[in-house]
Amino acid sequence: MGTRSERDFRRPSPEDIEGWMQKAFDMARAALDSGEVPVGCLMVHSNQLVGKGGNEVNETKNATRHAEMVALDQVLEWCRLEGRDHSEVLPQTVLYVTVEPCIMCAAALRLFHIPLVVFGCKNERFGGCGSVLDIPGDDLPNTGTAFECISGFRAEEAVEMLKTFYKQENPNAPKPRVRKD
Amino acid sequence: HFKMEFPRCKRRRSADTEPVSWRVLPVLSDEQCQDTQLLDAYAAPIADKRQTSRLVRALATVYPMAGLQHIKRVRARKDPGSPHPLEIIVCLVRDLPATGDERGKSIAELLSSADVDTSALGEPFLVKIPASPPLTRPQFELASKHWPTSFHEDKQVTVALRGDLFTPGEKAKMQGFMETAIAAARAGQREGMQPVGGVIVDPQTERIVAVGHDCSQGAHPLQHAVMVCIDLVARAHGGGAHQYKYAHCKFSEAGSPPRLRNGSALGLEVKGNVDELEPNALPYICTGCDLYVTREPCVMCAMALVHSRIGRVFYGAASLDGALGSRYKIHTQKGLNHHFDVFKGVMEQECEDLISKPS
Ligand SMILES: [Zn+2]
Ligand SMILES: [Zn+2]
Repeated sequence: MGTRSERDFRRPSPEDIEGWMQKAFDMARAALDSGEVPVGCLMVHSNQLVGKGGNEVNETKNATRHAEMVALDQVLEWCRLEGRDHSEVLPQTVLYVTVEPCIMCAAALRLFHIPLVVFGCKNERFGGCGSVLDIPGDDLPNTGTAFECISGFRAEEAVEMLKTFYKQENPNAPKPRVRKD
Repeated sequence: HFKMEFPRCKRRRSADTEPVSWRVLPVLSDEQCQDTQLLDAYAAPIADKRQTSRLVRALATVYPMAGLQHIKRVRARKDPGSPHPLEIIVCLVRDLPATGDERGKSIAELLSSADVDTSALGEPFLVKIPASPPLTRPQFELASKHWPTSFHEDKQVTVALRGDLFTPGEKAKMQGFMETAIAAARAGQREGMQPVGGVIVDPQTERIVAVGHDCSQGAHPLQHAVMVCIDLVARAHGGGAHQYKYAHCKFSEAGSPPRLRNGSALGLEVKGNVDELEPNALPYICTGCDLYVTREPCVMCAMALVHSRIGRVFYGAASLDGALGSRYKIHTQKGLNHHFDVFKGVMEQECEDLISKPS
């Protein structure tokens, strides 16, 4: 448990990664334009979109409903509708997200056996993929599977969108801090 | 409004007549638990007692020992055979110029560059002094074996470490809540789930807000008991993300939201009114609430509790990758904007039995 054979996971090509991250950034930009937290989050299986999340904390009054958690729910729903076994789908599914997942979401991705996460800027306050803790790389034999991260993808742009959002949100905010929930 | 009755499991013993047999212990931060780090220093006997305050002032100028304000510069002699009753720290070894041999220096060598009258000092000797101020009584007692330090005792932490923070009456109530969590865990297990149960309580009214058990073996692998409980509290407030078909996952309609607890009993740094600093008014629905859970939460669940602003957590059995003491201490994690008190050992044996002796 906890390890994965490299051969099992069919990695996306650099062009595919580029293309899906472009879509994630488009999604974040659209959220910003409609006054929502500018985070784009996509889950892709065999180069097919199987989940897409926006932050649903306010609607659900549940502070754990981050974009990643919403997207993971959609992947399960996709599996149900397609009649696919999620234990086969998840180890072949990549998360593309404009901001580093928090500690909770990073652990959720481990528990889902997601092999690869591509993200934009760091999340200095809650980041679970290197900023506060390193959940994907830590030795946690009872918490799903370790995963790989590709970080810093168009990071400045992702930070700029967050800064713009929090400036609009609260012009008197003490200082713009990178956050996304 | 409707009232929901939460079934109690059949009591194998009555908390009213028999004192509880378990101990509830705090899960402190690493800084509060770790062994005291020590630094090498030179001390010397004070041959002329009347010179003490002058020496303290003079040495503080030459060797200020920055960051070591907790160290008392002067102590009573350790060796009863020594002719001089007082000893003083001259300097830290690390503050001496690196010459390769920092051992066995004479007082003249230690103070060669300084204009200090050393006639009242005896031959220097090496000592070890605590590098940081003691945070708990056990740390203070260990540190004092090396050199006297000041200690701003947090009485609550001392009492908590003795296992005496809660009265027998409070422990009996805790037992009632944990028995409900255990009953939920057993009910979940009968549905094919992991035997883990939890209860979220408003401690001001002593009312159960939500009861849940692990649902991760069903359609959703992330539905750990804590995640289920948090979502049920959200439902109690008119929100929620999921439906639970199990009879032992339920909530009672929320009254007024619980008030913020006043700080930490375990000496944790508690930030000010976080809501005011947040750009979004987020639903911190677990603010001020207590969680009772049979097993130490994993890192996902522990961070979910941070996001939900839980007040306190009580758990029974530790777990291998546990994130509230075993593998991480998310509740004291530096850099996070919410900290909370955690206690372990509530009905520990019964909670262990859930895992080791499945019914
Ligand atoms: Zn998250
Ligand atoms: Zn968990």
